[in-house]
Amino acid sequence: MLNAPEPSPAGRHLSAALILLVALVLQVSVANRLPLPGGVTPDLVLLTVVALALVYGSMTGAVAGFCAGLAADIIPPADHTIGRYALVYCVIGYVCGIASAEMDRQSLVPFFAVAAGALAGTVLYALTGMLLGDPRASWTIVSRMVPLQVLYDVIVSPFIVWAVLRVSRRYERGDRGPSRGDLSVASPARFRAMSGRGPGR
Amino acid sequence: MKDTRRNRTVLGALLAVALVMITVDYRGGDDSPLRGLRGVGAAVFGPVERASASVVRPVGNTFDAITDAPDQRRRAERLERENQRLREQVRAQRLDASRAGQLQRLLGTAGIGGYKIVAAQVISSGQGFEDTVTLDVGSRSGVRRDMTVMSAEGLVGRIVRVGPATATVLLATDVTSTVGARLEDSKEIGVVQGRGRRGLGNGGTTPLRLQLLDATAPMRVGQRLVTLGSQGESPYVPGVPIGSVQSIDQSVGGLTRTAYIRPFVKFSGLDVVAVVVAPPKSDPREALLPKPPPSPKASPRPTRSPSPGTRPSNPEG
Repeated sequence: MLNAPEPSPAGRHLSAALILLVALVLQVSVANRLPLPGGVTPDLVLLTVVALALVYGSMTGAVAGFCAGLAADIIPPADHTIGRYALVYCVIGYVCGIASAEMDRQSLVPFFAVAAGALAGTVLYALTGMLLGDPRASWTIVSRMVPLQVLYDVIVSPFIVWAVLRVSRRYERGDRGPSRGDLSVASPARFRAMSGRGPGR
Repeated sequence: MKDTRRNRTVLGALLAVALVMITVDYRGGDDSPLRGLRGVGAAVFGPVERASASVVRPVGNTFDAITDAPDQRRRAERLERENQRLREQVRAQRLDASRAGQLQRLLGTAGIGGYKIVAAQVISSGQGFEDTVTLDVGSRSGVRRDMTVMSAEGLVGRIVRVGPATATVLLATDVTSTVGARLEDSKEIGVVQGRGRRGLGNGGTTPLRLQLLDATAPMRVGQRLVTLGSQGESPYVPGVPIGSVQSIDQSVGGLTRTAYIRPFVKFSGLDVVAVVVAPPKSDPREALLPKPPPSPKASPRPTRSPSPGTRPSNPEG
């Protein structure tokens, strides 16, 4: 319900909602519990929003970002001001969607875009915390956590982008209209090469 | 992307909604109208998290096995003991009231502290800068807000939010967490504060900071801390071990003295914990601290394996 955007091209929205739900649950019950060095964990939800925005464009990016953010704000262990993630992910989704329209299809560009999105999202979230005077987002903590988190995000991002592309393609295969201009056409060819190696994750 | 005007309208509307929510929730504080939304979140996502936790547990275990290989045997032994103890306690609760009362008294005389607990498992963990976890017990199991959460080793945190089948715990290492504490062997009291997510302080070894209220009071490295107990035993019950003093700030002239605490609990690997649903009849003082050997059981308790009272000895004492 919270994740379901308006059902115009239903399959696409459903698949986006499903991807986000899976990312959210994986985030809180797996990723956040990994005892990684530094006590920081990659932000799978942010990466998923960025990937969805790159595939589907700014409109879906903004709506998906808002919904995912709102869900991340109210999913049980959350204890921050409601609306912070919704704001941040919405902006990031929109900006990444805009960027995808003008993006070159060269092979490495999407990865840089995801890294940039992760950096912007993490910094923006820390900024909202500072604006609200959240003691958890004090400068000493933020300055230690943000670089490490961006590093983890960049490390994880290829897997997320690959998974999102793969799932969104599978769900779209049935009702595929005229081919979409951006990433979803350009990249699966090379991502398919990766998918041959590992079992579907 | 075509139709950018519509896109911008949607973006503007969503941002406005987000900003309104932030404002309302921030100004409302603890009883903001949006708390209901969190209730919805707990009701919707709680079962999903519980289900996924049971699926992904083996994954986490594998990861732990890789990262913790040297500690693995000790951990296994400890968990076995803990398991045994928790099984005893859970069984105690399921028995009828009179037997539960008896066992309760036995547990109390055995020096375990007399807390009445509900055992729980950690099923998910917070994102961003907050240090919170979700437990798989909720209001249906009798868990309420502001109850103490502990593990076999010591203090974990307190309950801040309860759903039907899940509860959110604010860990003691969170920056917003404040716990009243007492030094062992003295009446000196202080305040233990968290230093940030998963204990960023000093490579994660000293995620807690103690501010001793009496700046001239004696304090030495290695001295241990228990909870002081809050008024009305909520949110913190007395006598729960917190940790030991790792280093003392040498600065002089302050109103308080600061020390950095190494907790007994390993916060990055929380798994089985207990929610204290009823405080002890009397303050157990330092009975729960790991070093002194527990008094032998003088009771015919239905125990199979080595006495669950033998708690792991603290490595650095």
